[in-house]
Amino acid sequence: MSILGGGIFKGMAVTLRNFVGSYFYKERLTTNDYEWRPDGALPQSIGDYPKEEGEQLSDTTTVNHYSRNFPMLLHDTGEPMDTIRCVACQICERECPPQCIYIEKSTEKIENADGKPQFYPAKFDIDVSVCMSCQICVEVCPFDAIVMNSQFELSTPDRFGGLLVRRDDLLKSNDYYHKIHPQEAAARDQKMADDKAAKVAKKKAAAEKAKAAAEAKAASAAEAKASEDKTEDAE
Amino acid sequence: MSFELIKDILIATVPLLVIFPSLFAFTTWMERKALARIQNRIGPNKTGIPCTRIGLFGLGQPAADGIKMIFKEDIVPRGADKLFHLLAPILALIPAMLILCFLPLEFPWGKFMSAPVQAFLLDSAVIFFFAISGLATLAIFMAGWASRNKYSLLGGMRAVAQMVSYEIPLVLSAVVVVMMVGSLNAKEIADAQTGFNWFVFTPWGLAAFVIFFIAALAETNRSPFDLPEAESEIIAGYFTEYSGFKFALFFLGEYIAMFAISGLAVTLFLGAGDGPFLTAAPWLSVMWFIGKIFGLIAVMIWLRGTLPRLRVDQLMAFAWKFLLPLSIFNILLAGLTHFALDARVAATSDAILYSIHASHTHSDAANHDHPKPVAGQKEAVMGALHYTDKDWMGAMKWFSKAALKGHAQSRSILGWGFGIWAMSLIVLYVMAKGLDNVSRSTAKPREYLYAE
Repeated sequence: MSILGGGIFKGMAVTLRNFVGSYFYKERLTTNDYEWRPDGALPQSIGDYPKEEGEQLSDTTTVNHYSRNFPMLLHDTGEPMDTIRCVACQICERECPPQCIYIEKSTEKIENADGKPQFYPAKFDIDVSVCMSCQICVEVCPFDAIVMNSQFELSTPDRFGGLLVRRDDLLKSNDYYHKIHPQEAAARDQKMADDKAAKVAKKKAAAEKAKAAAEAKAASAAEAKASEDKTEDAE
Repeated sequence: MSFELIKDILIATVPLLVIFPSLFAFTTWMERKALARIQNRIGPNKTGIPCTRIGLFGLGQPAADGIKMIFKEDIVPRGADKLFHLLAPILALIPAMLILCFLPLEFPWGKFMSAPVQAFLLDSAVIFFFAISGLATLAIFMAGWASRNKYSLLGGMRAVAQMVSYEIPLVLSAVVVVMMVGSLNAKEIADAQTGFNWFVFTPWGLAAFVIFFIAALAETNRSPFDLPEAESEIIAGYFTEYSGFKFALFFLGEYIAMFAISGLAVTLFLGAGDGPFLTAAPWLSVMWFIGKIFGLIAVMIWLRGTLPRLRVDQLMAFAWKFLLPLSIFNILLAGLTHFALDARVAATSDAILYSIHASHTHSDAANHDHPKPVAGQKEAVMGALHYTDKDWMGAMKWFSKAALKGHAQSRSILGWGFGIWAMSLIVLYVMAKGLDNVSRSTAKPREYLYAE
């Protein structure tokens, strides 16, 4: 036997705790109180802050590094198009639930950051008015080329083209990524380095194996030849 | 028309037309802030003084909303009934503003007026209140019908079903107070509760207040009874097709109706303008009144931040199977309790009064010995006098003083009083609990035909 209306009072206690707690514990707040910037502009994203001399950015004036909004393309240090990570494999385009990514593959290959010839996206458009920020493109990308940006001031007077973000606007450097999502970027770099090391190790192992196999083959061939010789001798 | 009459009319109506719309503006801000804090957000905090960076906790938000609403395009759907589409928001606002007149607000006009002014001093104010607030239903259905939109029509139909159903427990719970006071006049009901004799302190009054408050939530389409405008089901219900200032009028009407019905709840159950320090500063009365209204509004906002929306069948089952029988039972119980109290307490206090009267008459006779006064008799007489004045709180105070001094009759009165008080609370709770067990909606969702 529960008390009549007890559930209502329980719920009201929860909401009261939230109400009072949000005034005393800043960490309860899921959103940040954006202060007016000295230059008058609203913050675009955490990376956009030209930190002034001696100015301490408090947690409440910036988007924190858990903030995710829309995807962006990554390139390594150097000219954006020379070091672009995307190889236009179009996996993200296929996986995108609201189908907001449009990719056109290039016809010729150029060298990527590793000096390997790869395809690149001749066109890479994301319609942010359609994007639902699900981050599935980030999950499926095998090249760590697409990650989430935290830029949120995207309003535009252009109703049709303004929200279609083109490849060159999507391209952001890995340094920027480190600035806005330091933990995630470090983890991703670590993972990429590990993958690369594993790949090298595997290649090496494969090469060694091949070498061993070749040696074994040579040995067995020699043995066979020897036995052949033996039989010949026996005859 | 004489100048005096115009002055009277202005003095009676202008406060209502100024105070409540400005309170509405403040309430929208308060609601947004409170809901935000309940959800661990900050809420409006940037809109303060224009052209400056002074945020003022977002207090400029209502003004900004108002300006936006005025300048927005007024869109009328092509298939809409243009006349009724225009009339509906106006008709939704008028009854809401009109019922404010029946509240026993006493504005402090000491310098200008000899007597406190009430806009509409009517002997049957409570009945008129319900009659006129019922008109809002018509306006809402008019809006739903005139928009020629299926969501509007659905919302309008839901609103009619809900408001007609919940009006019955609303009126029946108010009947208890009318029974106790013996008058429908709001002023007399308010006067009957001075000195903290608020009806909410009686068991039947408490039950009636709870029923009244729940029904008032449904009457004003507040969460958890906001089915007519359930945005996750039917967009915005009956005002789906309204924009610009018409929408603002609907919004205003809804909040004014909230104030009005909270005002009636305050008048009926929470002692109207009664409160502490009134003898020192009578003008505090209107402050207490509006403060109590705000308390009720705050609870409404709190509930909105807490409770999910009901289903239509739950809503109907709750009104007809729970609130209606409970409010009828409450009327019965109020009558019985009053009868029992009268039979015991009134008889005893009459006896006390009679005994003192008799002792006085006898003491006049010279040949009689002056009877020795019983300990606490004086206090008991005071209590009895307060009781005949229907000042229960005062009576209780004096009777308990007498009982502490060992006055047997006062002890019996207190015992009976508290016994009946507690018994009726228990009976009401058991009744409500039983009704709750049997009244739950048993409707099951229809079997999905294409489950395979």
